[in-house]
Amino acid sequence: MDDIGINIWINEERYEKLKEAGLADMAKEVLAGMKNIQVKCTEEQKDEILKKYPSAKFDASTTRTIELLPREVKDKIFEIAIKRKSTGPDVIEEFLKS
Amino acid sequence: MEYIGHGGKPIVERVLKPDEAKDAIKGLTEIPVRRQIAHETISIAYGFFTPIEGFMKYEDVDSVCKNMALADGVVWSIPIVFDMNVDELKEKDIKEGDSVLFKYMDKPLAIFEVEEIFEYDTKFMAEKVYGTSEEKHPGVARTYKYGEKFLGGKITLVNEPVFSEPYATYWKTPIQHREAMKEKGWEAMVAHQTRNVPHTGHEWLMKGAWFAANEDLMVDKLRTGVLVNCIIGEKRKGDYIDEAILLSHDMLRKAGYFRDDVHMTTFTLWDMRYAGPKEAIFHAILRTNLGCTHHMFGRDHAGVGDYYGTYDAHYLLKSVKEKLAIKPVFVLEWWYCPICSEVTCSALCNHTKERQKFSGTLIRSILMDGVKPTRLIFRPEVFDTVMETAEKYGFGSPFVTDHYLEKRQPIFTLKDL
Repeated sequence: MDDIGINIWINEERYEKLKEAGLADMAKEVLAGMKNIQVKCTEEQKDEILKKYPSAKFDASTTRTIELLPREVKDKIFEIAIKRKSTGPDVIEEFLKS
Repeated sequence: MEYIGHGGKPIVERVLKPDEAKDAIKGLTEIPVRRQIAHETISIAYGFFTPIEGFMKYEDVDSVCKNMALADGVVWSIPIVFDMNVDELKEKDIKEGDSVLFKYMDKPLAIFEVEEIFEYDTKFMAEKVYGTSEEKHPGVARTYKYGEKFLGGKITLVNEPVFSEPYATYWKTPIQHREAMKEKGWEAMVAHQTRNVPHTGHEWLMKGAWFAANEDLMVDKLRTGVLVNCIIGEKRKGDYIDEAILLSHDMLRKAGYFRDDVHMTTFTLWDMRYAGPKEAIFHAILRTNLGCTHHMFGRDHAGVGDYYGTYDAHYLLKSVKEKLAIKPVFVLEWWYCPICSEVTCSALCNHTKERQKFSGTLIRSILMDGVKPTRLIFRPEVFDTVMETAEKYGFGSPFVTDHYLEKRQPIFTLKDL
């Protein structure tokens, strides 16, 4: 699996949704108390996302994550992750098809 | 008092008084200039780019590209050029030896003495300055957009910019930087280059740099300061708005994370070229002219994508260290360590497995997700400032949007002469 990720930061609202779905363990503390889930994607999916959302950036040097995606995009990816109980590239595959 | 800048040359302000300016511009051919040229004109006129007194002529451009130095041998890394299309030149009938009037926002800005009109291979320029000719590099893209001709010669400001708030509070010319330094009693001043809102990683970078810059100075009275010199220039969607950058940095001082007597926030008008190591050299020159004795350089300084190695800027700076009048402070990465329970430096902390890296991009992503960061990574006062500026200046967003680009308040205005 590729190591490219999309960080979805967890606030109370998102944490409640994770809990309801029995997926609270998916949230990992990554930065000084900040929790997120990281949805993985392939190199091809990364390129497709960056093309679709020009404001997004791929942080190649530090975190190898796609950042600055609009909030509504993150919400959608988050919903799919919960539905599929997955954080793998299948989530992004469904998102890109939707 | 004479202040000495880069290349051992005095800082000279090429600015006419309003009554002299009125007469001097009479009858001159008018050339409207774009924002980049207006900003660079202002920077040249106040001495930010000392020893440069105008836009570069062929010999300097060629020497900068080939030797990373001006024609006289003084280190310089990025061509400062004024370009025009052949059609515009013909239409305005501009010839070598003419003096013309730069206009910006439809107001007189500066007199430009056209000493030389020349051509230069922009592909060669891009390859030499940026190490690539790929157009997706933003600096290369800018280079390829230049007109067919370059015009070199001295500029003289005829109309001083009147900065809007909050810019007015943070604007200082190089001479005013020197005077402020003197007033504060600083013998050392270390520059922090930024176009970001500060997270605690930045804060600790600056704090670490203070110790490095203080060297063997006595601490009975503090004699070292941190100069946060923000780069204000071209904005891209997703960047922090300029007002948030300035006000949040100053908030670190106002909220006591830095003492009043060791911290100062100012800005320079400059469009980042993302030239990585070459831009690092340019930043060193610029901050020398502001009076800095030291300049902090972290990982990937002023780079973009994966064009430059993590420490390329450090290697290049080290290679010309003797020719610079500023000491580079090389710093490693700062991270949050849950074992140390603090923001710490990779040069010190050995919990490499547990360390939690953070980057400006990551923090922007947290804010974009509408999540309030913990105080360990973002000071609450800084967060509040960012959100206040979003309301006051950013049309509800701390990040640059199309709306901000279109409707933002001008950084400065020019008066009628």
